[in-house]
Amino acid sequence: MSEASDPLVVENLTKRFGGLVAVEDLSFEVHDNEILGFIGPNGAGKTTVFNCIMSVFPVSGGSIYLNGEDVTNWDTHELVNHGLARVSQDSNPFEEMTVEDNIRIFTVPNSPFAFQAGGEDAEIAEIASRVDLEDDLQKLPGSLPHAGRRRLEIAKALATEPDLLLLDEPFAGLNQAEIRDLSEEIRSFRDEGMTLVVVDHNMHGLMQLVDRVIVVNEGSKLADGTPEEIADNEAVQQAYLAGEI
Amino acid sequence: MSNPATADAEESPAGFAVPLFDATANRYQLAVLVVAILGLVTIPVWAPSLTYVFAFANIWVIFVVSWDIISGHTNYISFGHSFISGIAAYTTALLTFNIDPEMAMYITLPLSVIMAVVAALVFALPALRLSGPYFSLLTFVSVLVATKAVYIFSQYTNGEMGISTVSVLTFDNTTMFYYTLIPAAVVTGLLLYISRSDVGMVLKAIGQNEVAVEAAGLDTTRFKIWGFVYSAIPMGFGGALLAHFFGNVEPIAFLIVDRSIEMIAIAAVGGMGTILGPAGAAYILIYLRDDLFRTFLGPNARWVAVWSVILILLVYSPQGILKRFWTFLGDLGGDSA
Amino acid sequence: MVDPVTILVTGGMIGSVYVLIAIGFSLIYGVRGVINLSHGAFIMLGAFTYLVVSQYVPGLAAFAVAILAVGAFSLLLYLGLVRYIESNVVITFLATVVVALIVQELLVLRFSLAPRSLQPIISGGIPVAGTRIRYYQLIAFALSWVALGLLYLFVRRTRLGRNILATSMTEKGAKLTGTNVFYVNAATWFVGGAFAGFAGVFIGTLQSTSPLMWVEALGLAFIIVTIGGVGSIKGSIIAAYLIGYLETLTVNLIGAEWRGMFALLLLVAIIIVKPEGLFGREFIE
Repeated sequence: MSEASDPLVVENLTKRFGGLVAVEDLSFEVHDNEILGFIGPNGAGKTTVFNCIMSVFPVSGGSIYLNGEDVTNWDTHELVNHGLARVSQDSNPFEEMTVEDNIRIFTVPNSPFAFQAGGEDAEIAEIASRVDLEDDLQKLPGSLPHAGRRRLEIAKALATEPDLLLLDEPFAGLNQAEIRDLSEEIRSFRDEGMTLVVVDHNMHGLMQLVDRVIVVNEGSKLADGTPEEIADNEAVQQAYLAGEI
Repeated sequence: MSNPATADAEESPAGFAVPLFDATANRYQLAVLVVAILGLVTIPVWAPSLTYVFAFANIWVIFVVSWDIISGHTNYISFGHSFISGIAAYTTALLTFNIDPEMAMYITLPLSVIMAVVAALVFALPALRLSGPYFSLLTFVSVLVATKAVYIFSQYTNGEMGISTVSVLTFDNTTMFYYTLIPAAVVTGLLLYISRSDVGMVLKAIGQNEVAVEAAGLDTTRFKIWGFVYSAIPMGFGGALLAHFFGNVEPIAFLIVDRSIEMIAIAAVGGMGTILGPAGAAYILIYLRDDLFRTFLGPNARWVAVWSVILILLVYSPQGILKRFWTFLGDLGGDSA
Repeated sequence: MVDPVTILVTGGMIGSVYVLIAIGFSLIYGVRGVINLSHGAFIMLGAFTYLVVSQYVPGLAAFAVAILAVGAFSLLLYLGLVRYIESNVVITFLATVVVALIVQELLVLRFSLAPRSLQPIISGGIPVAGTRIRYYQLIAFALSWVALGLLYLFVRRTRLGRNILATSMTEKGAKLTGTNVFYVNAATWFVGGAFAGFAGVFIGTLQSTSPLMWVEALGLAFIIVTIGGVGSIKGSIIAAYLIGYLETLTVNLIGAEWRGMFALLLLVAIIIVKPEGLFGREFIE
């Protein structure tokens, strides 16, 4: 089912923490230039999957392929330098640096001689403007509202010029208007050629946005299909007892 | 480097151009800096009795800013920097003591610096994989090992007494002052450049949140190792310079853990991560330790005073008293560097 | 030339004293997560207190005074300084080591750098299998195990002791169950200091007493606790005897100036290969 041009392929991914199996034998592909929804109840293992992909944890089993290359054991920075970026669930800015410097670090090349090689001020401002932060460049992350901090996370990821962007629970804590704006931004990224994976535990917000959905529960893949197919899927409905869908 | 308060980071009243010192200084800060630098450079004129102490302090400036560029920025607190300078000093000393007392400085100096960098990497490479306290512990141990080795191999190192065959740069205090001032200024300038550059920003970011730096596509291990190299080169140079300052190399002035702790304390008192803060603090504390307190309390009791002053400053101004002063001047003028 | 009985006895005895060095350090590190770099100075103060007091009162009394005095000093250090700065790891590191240096310099002023020997608590000894074992060495060994036993009882049987143990595993959890964390911390520092004072008297007698001894004592504490594994009393005990024997062998087989070198190198190896030590466990935050 995977095509040669799939930017990201995950094969038989397994992750154990001691006796706890967080992810079990999970396989899926991300197709080029799609917006893929990655959905599951809380605790299903979604973030763990992406932590494994981003090499925050070593995998217990399975392989990960980026553009056909086996990157299972690569370091995080290597992945980022090959076009893979992630916006985490929790904002993780450099609290003691301005928004501008936070973004600038993500433009610095991976060289200890890169003394002046980070982005120019204009370049940083441009990245910031893509997420509506151009007026906040001199502020500290702590003074931004929650939505602003989330946008800063996206700006940082964009600064690395990714081909594939993973967004972990990007809508959490946002109001309706902010969700709409963010969905628009995500669509515009796709129009620019990026491939996107959006993780969420709430299907409702995602349905109009994504091309395809993968549903995960208790560390395994439950279903894989278009939003309409997934909405009709009984197994998926049962997994969401509280009727979150 | 942009700063939170000013609207326009390019505006620079003194005309210090962006890229070199990418920061603004308001007129109060500038005034203080200018007065301090002028005062320093002319010490042999207005305070000739202080010339020797300040010449010695110049070398300590090199040690302290070298510590700051790596530990002050990345927060990997090295307790072993006297190990690096000590290796350099002992290389010079061992060469003159065991091989040829007339060996030229243009041979011993580069060799000493190379040995210092090698020694630093030997400990840094495994140590940098460890988290904070273990890293510090390993560097602490490196000093203990080196000190012990000096005593064990006393037939080569002359143990506690030290080696006296190192050539003295000059016996004239004023000349010595300028011989040491120039390297101090050059090293401080270079390390300040690195600190204010994107590389320095990455090092500081590592100190704040190393995981996030990895997410930025930066190999933190590589940056840390190079940070160590940028530190070890001037550190080694300083060690050799100090050897030629005294004409004598022994454990107490060069190697023991007390010296390492002094370097850390001076940098912390000045303001870790600022390069200039530690440099200023070095002058002040060395002056206290080797002139003021020594005169009034004698060579033994002065230490109680020195360490007590340091303790008070550390507790009441953990971000550094000079850094605090600088920020205060900045607020006075309405913007800060 | 090398007498196996001497080595067995001396090593065991040094090991028993090293246990005490490590326990105090480990308590504070394990319970509070604070690396107390003045621990070596505590040990040194134990030795010097005994030095002074034993001139006026008999050995055992002086010994008791030393233990209490250092426990009190440790407690004061916590109350007067550490509890205000312990959230800042770097400053705590620096401040505690600067305190050690202040203590060092004060002792230098009063006693000079010359190493002293201490009057043994009880003089005399008994011949055993060809060598002479001194009484104070036997006392050190015995008391070390008694102290360990008391510590075990304290931690398992008394409320305060159990609280200390609980706090060492998770401070948040301890707070939630109503433990008076402040009281626990104060008690930990006192007990840790007392152990250090205890150790100091014997180290000072066994080796020598000088204002510089804190560096080696601190190094030993680090080495033993790290090799044994932070938070593991069992690990500290085993590592202490291991190092004790290693040092005894080194001194007897190679030379006195090499003492401590192999312990340091072993530490380096452990930090690199297995940083959590032989029996260390992870801490839950």
